[in-house]
Amino acid sequence: MILNYSQPLEFTNLITWLDTALRSSMSEFWVLLIEFVLVAVGLLAAYSVIAMILIYAERKITAFFQARFGPNRVGKYGIWQSVADVIKILLKEIIHINRSDRFLFFAAPFFMIIASMLTFGAIPFGKFLHAVDFNIGVLYVTAVSSLGIIGVLLAGWSSNNKYSMIGAMRSGAQFVSYELSAGFALMTIVVLAGTMQFSEMIEGQRYCWNLFNGHISSMIAFVIYLISGHAETNRGPFDLPEAESELTAGYHTEYSGKQFGFFYLAEYLNMFIIASIATTVFLGGWMPIQIHGLETFNQIMWYIPSYVWFFAKTGVLIFLSLWVRWSFPRLRIDQLLNLEWKYLLPINLVNIVVMVIIVLTGLTLTDLFPGLF
Amino acid sequence: MSSILEYFSGLFKGIKSLLIGMSVTWKELWTKKVTQQYPENRDTLVISDRFRAELTMPHDENNEHACTACGICQMNCPNGTINVLSATIETEDGKKKKILDTYTWDLGMCTFCNLCVITCPSDAIKFENTFENAVFTRSKLVQQLNHEGSKLRVKPPKSTESVTKSTECITKEAQNK
Amino acid sequence: MAEQIIFYILAAIIAIFSILAVTSKQIIRSATYLLFVLIGTAGLYLLLGYHYLFAVQIAVYAGGVMVLFIFAILLTNRPGENAKTERKDRRIVAGITSLAGLAFCGHIIYWNISKVYTFVVPAEMKVQDIGHTLMGTGKYEYLLPFEFISILLLASIVGAIMIARKR
Repeated sequence: MILNYSQPLEFTNLITWLDTALRSSMSEFWVLLIEFVLVAVGLLAAYSVIAMILIYAERKITAFFQARFGPNRVGKYGIWQSVADVIKILLKEIIHINRSDRFLFFAAPFFMIIASMLTFGAIPFGKFLHAVDFNIGVLYVTAVSSLGIIGVLLAGWSSNNKYSMIGAMRSGAQFVSYELSAGFALMTIVVLAGTMQFSEMIEGQRYCWNLFNGHISSMIAFVIYLISGHAETNRGPFDLPEAESELTAGYHTEYSGKQFGFFYLAEYLNMFIIASIATTVFLGGWMPIQIHGLETFNQIMWYIPSYVWFFAKTGVLIFLSLWVRWSFPRLRIDQLLNLEWKYLLPINLVNIVVMVIIVLTGLTLTDLFPGLF
Repeated sequence: MSSILEYFSGLFKGIKSLLIGMSVTWKELWTKKVTQQYPENRDTLVISDRFRAELTMPHDENNEHACTACGICQMNCPNGTINVLSATIETEDGKKKKILDTYTWDLGMCTFCNLCVITCPSDAIKFENTFENAVFTRSKLVQQLNHEGSKLRVKPPKSTESVTKSTECITKEAQNK
Repeated sequence: MAEQIIFYILAAIIAIFSILAVTSKQIIRSATYLLFVLIGTAGLYLLLGYHYLFAVQIAVYAGGVMVLFIFAILLTNRPGENAKTERKDRRIVAGITSLAGLAFCGHIIYWNISKVYTFVVPAEMKVQDIGHTLMGTGKYEYLLPFEFISILLLASIVGAIMIARKR
């Protein structure tokens, strides 16, 4: 390992120092307990802060796409706007709906938020900033993110409102369809990388990102993952579950205050999660850009902290998602399902076979140019 | 075979049109912002002359207006916004004459339909584009348009004729309605 | 100690929600309680370190089966409106029968479990091993069942299309 020294901005030293300090003073059980709680608090804090930043960025970029300024009143350039919004939403009254299923009505937002929290925990934010690193990382992420849809369906059902119901049904059909494509696109890369663990995947992309390593097949998988991930989050041209002109707000029409905040937060964080998984799987995650042979260049790249690399790559993908969102009109439900079942899924299935052939016959870039990548 | 061709040509055409759409929005991202930042740009703000915000009665430098207190604007107002109070005075040659006493206009009731201005036979009133009309109490919305001590402008005899003509014309129209 | 506490919490969740799932009158609530039971089971797998099984349990049951259940319930007309309770004598008989079954099974499990179980070393299983086992043809390898399942799924897809087309 070339560089185990002089990365002053990484969290590595802080974490090791904390761990040794705790271990020197108390027993294993308490050390683990305190560390778990610390990790959970850190993740929750990151979750809400990232959501606030995303809401601000989304509003600003949206405004730029529409030749407006966006929020610019609360603080300079409106940077405190989302903080103000959060305070407002926390203080709002939670409205009870008559003749609705109270228990399911209250449970539904938690499904959404828990699903996105569980996925959020598995994201490698940087070197050593990785809470859950299972050896089935990719499978875990696709599995737990599917819990959210139950929240949507229950929310639509328990609101006792036909708009919510239609929104929930649409969302369910959409999510179940596109989850398939997203999973297949990730599996294509699992074939290439030969592992499901995020940390190993990132390590394998040190000199050549998966996006380029499997060239044509990887690129197709990348595009399909972005499209289906975008559709899973109910945003952009795929936002017909909450098509405001037809369904007021879809499945969260009847929610207010904190409960609505949960849905809102989960929606924004799902956008971030999709982008960050795409970053990790296709774009090398937190690994800085490294080139074979150029040791000084690699060294300089390592001085930029890993989490900066991660958030920069993720930011580019989030911008792409916003760009798509403000470019295209909303799809009809039949167009939506056509896109998935007639285009994305068949292409995906062929793509996996192509990827297997590429890997088996040694046509990946690392195999073709071993000195370069 | 042709259906397969159609499938792929449709796919690539679709991708092409999507990319065109994205390039359009990309250009839009860098265009100049069109937002008017209102309270800050009051000095440079341009409001169209045709914008109807406030009914006014123009007075000239001698504090004279053109209103003959005929009451046509009051009759034509769909909301009863205008109230023309007239007084009768005796002129020097002994004729009785109706002159304007108070001309009140209720901003709160007005729908800015412009009928009063159109029908005014003597062009005595017009809409201005001064739009900052917010007040704290409703009673302040009722404004008196004629200034204190103002009087009717004496028209040169030539134009009087034409004005009367047009007045008759418009009055008839109004009555027909 | 921590594992024991987590186990008891999970066991309590599974037991309580199993009972609720059976006794609830509204079918959509039953489905939700069943989902909690399945998630609790997934939690047990996680506690044992079987991450693969945990992910599959969540993906298949929570993401697939439960969504299908809820969809089916949402598509029915006014679910749970005509739910009736069983006659009292029948309820008593059913209760006694189920308790007897529980006692019988519990007895067998309690007295025989120490003879057959082996301690599993809590080590993380590699996905590659699972893949090779699923795809292998040797002893303790499962290619044939795997292919049988795929044929079964294919048959059900064909059947679903036949029903859906209605020509």
